[in-house]
Amino acid sequence: MAFFGTVLNTVGALFLTHAVYSTHEHTATFASTPLPLDITIEMLASILLLSLGIVISFAPLKPIQHAEWAGQISRGGRHGEGQYTREGEEVLSEGDQYAFLGLDGGIGGKGEGRRGFWDVKGKRREYEEWVRSGGKN
Amino acid sequence: MAHANLLSPPSQISPQTALALSQKAPVILSTSPTSSLPWPLSLLFSRETPESWTIHENLFLSALRTGDETSARALLDRLEARFGQHNERIITLRGIYNEATAQSNGDLEKVFDGYEKILREDPTNMSIRKRRVAVLKALGRPQDAITAVTVLLQNSPTDVEAWAEASELYASQAAWGQAIYCAEEVLLITPNAWSAHAHVATLHYLSIASNNPPSLSALALSLKHFCRSIELNDAYLRGYYGLKLVTTKLLPLLSETQSTSSKRNNNNNSQDDEDVPIPALATVKKLEEIATSKLAEIVRHYKAGNKGWRGFDEAEVIAARELLDRDGN
Repeated sequence: MAFFGTVLNTVGALFLTHAVYSTHEHTATFASTPLPLDITIEMLASILLLSLGIVISFAPLKPIQHAEWAGQISRGGRHGEGQYTREGEEVLSEGDQYAFLGLDGGIGGKGEGRRGFWDVKGKRREYEEWVRSGGKN
Repeated sequence: MAHANLLSPPSQISPQTALALSQKAPVILSTSPTSSLPWPLSLLFSRETPESWTIHENLFLSALRTGDETSARALLDRLEARFGQHNERIITLRGIYNEATAQSNGDLEKVFDGYEKILREDPTNMSIRKRRVAVLKALGRPQDAITAVTVLLQNSPTDVEAWAEASELYASQAAWGQAIYCAEEVLLITPNAWSAHAHVATLHYLSIASNNPPSLSALALSLKHFCRSIELNDAYLRGYYGLKLVTTKLLPLLSETQSTSSKRNNNNNSQDDEDVPIPALATVKKLEEIATSKLAEIVRHYKAGNKGWRGFDEAEVIAARELLDRDGN
């Protein structure tokens, strides 16, 4: 779809340039006569093509309904979109914006929310136990 | 395995992921984001981005978790050199470093006293107040932690993170009433948080877990909040799971009360101090069907590995499948 949009955009831009050029030439040579119909039609057609191309090649829109939008985040999870920072970390798509509340793991869950209250001692103990048990799963 | 991404770490970090994260330390530490050139040139040739410092901070926390204290120290030095010793966030990170390297409870107490000193100098440092709560929790003094968090909330009643923490702390002490109150405060500030709605519902559900027979109004409230959470997020596994649990518990109760005389039913309702409308049997049945079909859908798509269905937590999907199997589906 993105390819089709680019083709439409290119063709539209070419027609638009041509129409503008023709208008310029026409007014330069016959200053007092009205613009011929074909130039007007070409101009309108090129704008139509360009608008269509822009709409088609645009990134997919986000759902308007809250439930659908949130559901999309829950279903798909966070995934990379091919952009990386200088350190080599991938920039991920939008995630659960309420993850900072840390209420996703249930009561006494071990999530990473609530960074202000991050329990460094507990996390260290968990890691040490994992290492001592042989580092399984 | 979840991706080990330092820029946006996953919401649940297993020890394995933590190890993978902290193993990135040599790469990050090998190049400095700031330029070593003198002042005007350093502005032109600096390669730092806002993301680099997020990555540094996350790496610092992972290094501390896996006990890689040398890397953590190097990262902390870098952050201090960039943002200064007196930056509120840097003071907090230094505090976390001290907590992590404390060998005994006595050392932790010393860190705690250090926090008190910082707060005497600057009583508005909210992140240090939060660290105090964390230290009290690590010292195994939940009652003191609750007191500390209530003091924090008196000074800053719109701090939703602190309300959530207070709710968890009360829940860990099985003080359900207070936990529900705090969770409802969370809802006042972030009314669209589906996880907060599921949290309130879970608290209502757990608060009557030991009652026999369970109170209808608490179950009805739990049902209401689980419904709201899936109304806000139509693929919220935890919400559907809870909805199914509550409806299976409500169905026999409701059919029982409906078979007895309606007059007694009315009396029961008026005795409840909270005026909670009890849902109709048919509605609950319908909700149960919805929850079952949605859970089955999620489990099926996740098992098939369909694209766009991989965001769920594996443990949660397994639990959902077990619930469905127990129900005979």
